[in-house]
Amino acid sequence: MAETLRKLSDDLAQTVEAAGPSIVRVAARRRLPASGIVWSSDGTIVTAHHVVERDDSIEIGLPDGGTATATLAGRDPTTDIAVLRTSAAGLAEPRWRGADSLRVGNIVLALGRPGRSVLATMGIVSALGESWRTPAGGRLDHYLQTDVVMYPGFSGGPLVDSEGSVVGLNTSALSRGAALAVPFDTLGRVVEALLSRGRIRRGYLGVGAQPARLPDGLAKELGQETGLLLVSVEAGSPAEQSGLLMGDTLVTLNGNRIRHLDDLFAALDEEAIGQPVPAKLVRGGKLQDAAISVGERE
Amino acid sequence: MSLLTNRLDSDLADVAQKARGSLVQIHNGGHGAGAGTIWHPDGLIVTNAHVAGNGPLRVALPDGRSLPARLLASDAVNDIAAIAVVASGLPAVELGESRRLRPGNIVLAIGHPWGVFGATTAGTVVGVGPDLPEVGGSPREWIAVSLNLRPGNSGGPLVDADGRLVGINTVMTGPHAGMAVPVHVAKEFLKEAMASRKIA
Repeated sequence: MAETLRKLSDDLAQTVEAAGPSIVRVAARRRLPASGIVWSSDGTIVTAHHVVERDDSIEIGLPDGGTATATLAGRDPTTDIAVLRTSAAGLAEPRWRGADSLRVGNIVLALGRPGRSVLATMGIVSALGESWRTPAGGRLDHYLQTDVVMYPGFSGGPLVDSEGSVVGLNTSALSRGAALAVPFDTLGRVVEALLSRGRIRRGYLGVGAQPARLPDGLAKELGQETGLLLVSVEAGSPAEQSGLLMGDTLVTLNGNRIRHLDDLFAALDEEAIGQPVPAKLVRGGKLQDAAISVGERE
Repeated sequence: MSLLTNRLDSDLADVAQKARGSLVQIHNGGHGAGAGTIWHPDGLIVTNAHVAGNGPLRVALPDGRSLPARLLASDAVNDIAAIAVVASGLPAVELGESRRLRPGNIVLAIGHPWGVFGATTAGTVVGVGPDLPEVGGSPREWIAVSLNLRPGNSGGPLVDADGRLVGINTVMTGPHAGMAVPVHVAKEFLKEAMASRKIA
C-alpha cells in the first residue's frame, strides 16, 4: 500500500542525504549554533551574517563529525552574508542552481546542522521575483520566499530543490516572519567581493539628513510625499563637492525616489560610486536637477 | 490532476484511514481529552504520561464504545504510559521502525486537536535522536517533526508513509513543529513494565 507516498518519502530523505555533506555547523554566537554551506572544498564557508557574533575562534562542525576553527573573511550585513575561512580541506561542494530554474509551487527543503546531524524541513516556493532591496539596503538578485519552517539554527543553511541542488542560503533575518533565501547569484557576487576585498563597497555622500514633507504641489508632481532635508553637509565631502547645500531637500538620486533615509542608503550602492549620477532636489521651494558624485565609504 | 497526484492523494487518504482506525480518545477526569494508540488487540493502549495522569480514565474507542480504563504503567521522564481496557479484537496499530526514520521522511499525526476527533495532519521528519536543538544536551531520544500539533494531539499516533507507528505525538514546540516519543522508546518502556510485572 501507499507505494507512491513511500517513494516520495524516500526521495525526500535521499535529497536531504545528498546535500548533507556540504552543510556545516557554525558556532559563532552565545546561543544555539547555526548552519553554513561549503563554498569551496579548500575551506571557504558561506553563512548568514547575523549568526556570526565574533570574528575569530569560530568553530565549524564538519559533516564527518570532526571540528575545525575558522575566522571571518568578510561580511555584508545588507545581504546577511558572511564568509568564513577554515583550514579544513577536502570539503564537499554542493551542486548550485540559479533561482531561474524555480517556479512558485516547487518543492524545496531547508536544511541545517545546528547539532551533529542534518535536520530538514520541507515546503514550497511561495514567491519568486526580480531584484529586491533588503531593509538594510542590500540587493538580492531575486526575491525568493518559501513556506519552510525555519527551525532553530537553520539560518545560514541551504535551501535545496527537489534534485538536491542548492538554490539559496536561508535566513530569518532579512524579513520579519517570512523565510527568505539569498539566491545563488547574489551569493556568488557578494562572496567573491568579500573574498577579494573583505567587504562590499558602499557609496558615501557626507550629509546629515531627515525626512521632510514636500509642499502639496511638488508632492503631487513627484508622486511622493516626503524628501530628505539636508541638515548638515560635511566639509570636503562628495556632497559638498557636488554643490549640495544645507537646507536642500533631496527627492531623487540615480532614478530612485528618496523619501526617507532607507531610500538613500539603498541608492548609495556599489554601482553609484565614482561617476556623477543624476539627482533632483528642492532648493528655495523650486525643483532643480543636479549631478552628484558619490564617493566610497572607507 | 495528474496521475501521480491522484496516486499520492489516494495513498495519503489510505494511510490516514489506516492510522485513524487505531486511534482512541482518553478522558482523565480533567478538562479536555487526549489521544491514545491501540498497541495490542486485547486492550493495551499507549499514550503520554501527561494524558493518562492519575485520575479515573475513560477511553472512547474507534467503534464508538466508551470504556473505563486502568493505568498499567507510567514513565514521566519519557512522557509515556500504558493503559488497558477490557476488550478484545481491537484494531491494533502496525508497528514501524523509528530508528530508520530519516530527515525529510513524510509522517502523519492523528489525534483530536482542539477536540476534533481523528483530525489528521501531514508533514515531514526534521530529525531523530537526542541531537536536536530543543533537547539541549539531554540524552532523551525524540522525533522532531514539522507539522501542526495542537492540544488534543498528545498520545496519538505518528505514522510513516506506510501507516506504521513510528512515534507517540507528545509536544508542540512551535506553530508548525513538534516532538514525538519514538516507537522504539515506547517498546523499551513496555518491555520494562512487563519485566516488572506491571503488565501481564
